[in-house]
Amino acid sequence: MKAREATAAVAKHRGDAVAVCALGMAANEWWAVTESEDAFYMHGAMGFAASFALGLALSLPKAPVWLINADGSLCMNLGCLLTEASQAPKNLKHFVIDNQVYQTVGALPMVNQGRTDYAAIARGAGIAKARTIESIDELEKAMPSIAAEDGPSFTLLRVEAETGFLRTPPMTYEGPEMKYRFGRALEKRFGITVFGPQGY
Amino acid sequence: MDVNEKIHEQLKKAGVALAASLPDDWVAPLINRIAADNTIRHVRVAREAEAVAICSGAFFGGVRSVALMGATGLLTCTGELATLNLRHQIPVFLIVSQRGSIDDHRIYQEVQGRRTIPLLQSYDFPYHIVNEPDEISSIPDAYETCRLQKRPFVLFLTRNLVKGNAV
Repeated sequence: MKAREATAAVAKHRGDAVAVCALGMAANEWWAVTESEDAFYMHGAMGFAASFALGLALSLPKAPVWLINADGSLCMNLGCLLTEASQAPKNLKHFVIDNQVYQTVGALPMVNQGRTDYAAIARGAGIAKARTIESIDELEKAMPSIAAEDGPSFTLLRVEAETGFLRTPPMTYEGPEMKYRFGRALEKRFGITVFGPQGY
Repeated sequence: MDVNEKIHEQLKKAGVALAASLPDDWVAPLINRIAADNTIRHVRVAREAEAVAICSGAFFGGVRSVALMGATGLLTCTGELATLNLRHQIPVFLIVSQRGSIDDHRIYQEVQGRRTIPLLQSYDFPYHIVNEPDEISSIPDAYETCRLQKRPFVLFLTRNLVKGNAV
């Protein structure tokens, strides 16, 4: 399965979930498929979209939070699985697009390429609902139940490595604007206060 | 009232409802106090940058938070503080032990003592040092400054404050 079709299959079932996307391929593909403004697209802190999503999920327990992670980012912060397991947020689902390469920089191989069983690592950390999905048919079939189940869950999407650069353009806004668009979208949707009366 | 009780009280006064922590021995008693408070969601992390990102996510959930760590831990997450918090102008309030001070006779803390504040200055991260118990009441103002400046803010706890004359 291709990264784009896997992302589209996940996005189709997102309902009113708030997405947090790891930088690079995951963020660019999610933007390409959804053009969603109530998603947070990381521009840095590789590996830590997972922790950001956990903080958001714990703070907004009624909001479904979907983390769109990637294998390179997961490897940079494997400890996030321990923290997710220990907090056990029912509203957090962790998806990993695993293409076994550092796609954004030209498809250089991942560390330990092809040998790592990330779902086994997630299970070992204490996330019982952990699985690997290898085909689009399997993903289409599984998504309704993945979307309906309580978190925490971990779903690894094994996709084909592209050769060379994917060149999917990133979202069309950045940094502070992303902060305000995302924060204002959440204020509106959930009736919360993110920014104070003076706007900061 | 001991200093950790006072810090805890002032954090609550600042509206903190989530804490993410990785201990060093100076902040461990404060972490234990906060962990025992069921009105503050406490998240133990495996690396300090997780605490930074958890607090950043909590910001968007409308929840005030604090990241608790040692000075060595602060050094490990400067990349994330720059590329997440500076990049997106997300405030994050950190309480950090000011290790490597003249009364901290630990060889493995001396670099932290010499280089941490110059590092914060080069990133233009504001900080505030709390050295005496009667300065603890500055925490709500420090928290508001962090929000207003939209960047990481480090509140340092000195050895004098948290350990006094203890060896």
